[in-house]
Amino acid sequence: MTTPLISQLIESLRCLPGVGPKSAQRMAYHLLERDRPAALRLAATLQEAVEHVGHCSRCRTLSEHALCPICASPRRDSGLLCIVESPADVAALDQATGFQGKYFVLMGHLSPLDGIGPEEIGLDRLATLLDEEPVQEVILATNPTVEGEATAHYISEMVRQRGIRVTRLAHGIPLGGELEYVDGGTLSHAFNGRREV
Amino acid sequence: MSTKVNLEPSFVLHRTPWRDTSLLIEVFGAVSGRQGLVAKGVRGRRSSRAALLQAFQPLLLSWRGRGELHTLTDAEPGGKVFPLLGTALISGFYLNELLVRLLQRHDPHPELFHSYQLTLARLQLGEQLEWSLRLFECQLLEQLGYGLILGHNALDGEPIAPMEDYVYVPERGPIPAGQAEGIPIHGRSLLALSEGQWPLDEAAPETLREAKQLLRYSLASQLGPKPLASRGLFQSMGSK
Repeated sequence: MTTPLISQLIESLRCLPGVGPKSAQRMAYHLLERDRPAALRLAATLQEAVEHVGHCSRCRTLSEHALCPICASPRRDSGLLCIVESPADVAALDQATGFQGKYFVLMGHLSPLDGIGPEEIGLDRLATLLDEEPVQEVILATNPTVEGEATAHYISEMVRQRGIRVTRLAHGIPLGGELEYVDGGTLSHAFNGRREV
Repeated sequence: MSTKVNLEPSFVLHRTPWRDTSLLIEVFGAVSGRQGLVAKGVRGRRSSRAALLQAFQPLLLSWRGRGELHTLTDAEPGGKVFPLLGTALISGFYLNELLVRLLQRHDPHPELFHSYQLTLARLQLGEQLEWSLRLFECQLLEQLGYGLILGHNALDGEPIAPMEDYVYVPERGPIPAGQAEGIPIHGRSLLALSEGQWPLDEAAPETLREAKQLLRYSLASQLGPKPLASRGLFQSMGSK
């Protein structure tokens, strides 16, 4: 049996993704038995992050500063704007591609059935950004789901009206994959988007 | 009562993430009608099911369970995908929103399933987009038990004359203009809707406008006061 405070700790840890009752219990005992300084640090950092991290005023990603490091960097090319659904997508693209432009983070996608419309994903903010900055190309990197596709279409209309070039990430077969096991939707996209070699 | 369904032709209408790796999906089955299913573990890195379980993709789904939500046990592609783009895609969301809002779970609607499929195919071809939506709305009302009277005059049962003017009185039907208050509509527009025929070219804009008014009004009483989000999306696209 655990005491009320320990139970409360275990219950609180369960708010994390992928943490069930068993792993929450393991984490709680580990922190209390072996690593109390780390536990204090975690508590303090959590407190501070929750209080101070807000959204970047330009690209809407999570940041404790008014401008996130990418938006504030003078080395980044303001002419290239990549539009993604979440801050995790920024990290993924930045690590994998060496993209040197800037981002805009929607924090979601258009989803009429969930009541998420253009305003909820900050498209009014995006419109001002497109008017104010010297953007030459917008790269749409929304997820390849029907909702992501609808979002990409909506934004591409917005961008095209301003005479700016719009591109969309290619959809295709994963590297090292086998055609036989690729789902039909991906395969037909890859087939239609084939390229001259 | 426990249910077990084996590879039923279905469409996903809507999906929401659930827990870490699962999805809650709202599906429209050819035999079972609208169903709520839990698709366990499909969002994981190693699963390609999440790519499959998307709206507008014909599927063969198996599920089992008791109570309100059942568990998805198998999913296979059921035919060629309907790759909807642009306005057709938003129209597709509109169809799905109507179905989620108006159909009761576990109510079978095989005929409506058929017209849903047909409408998706039409949307994909991009032909007469608006008209396809109107015909689907007519079907939907019919299947819900609130079908419109389109072929005859509600006053004396006379067939509708194409060149006459009518007013559509809610819950009664079309009545010659001037004899009651209602939504104004031409005879040829009523007949076009009733026969599902694309109207003659010179009358098309008028018919589209009148059909839209009539169906919007008729659906509104079923939908209640909460606005349709996909309709809002259409409008904001038009005004952008």
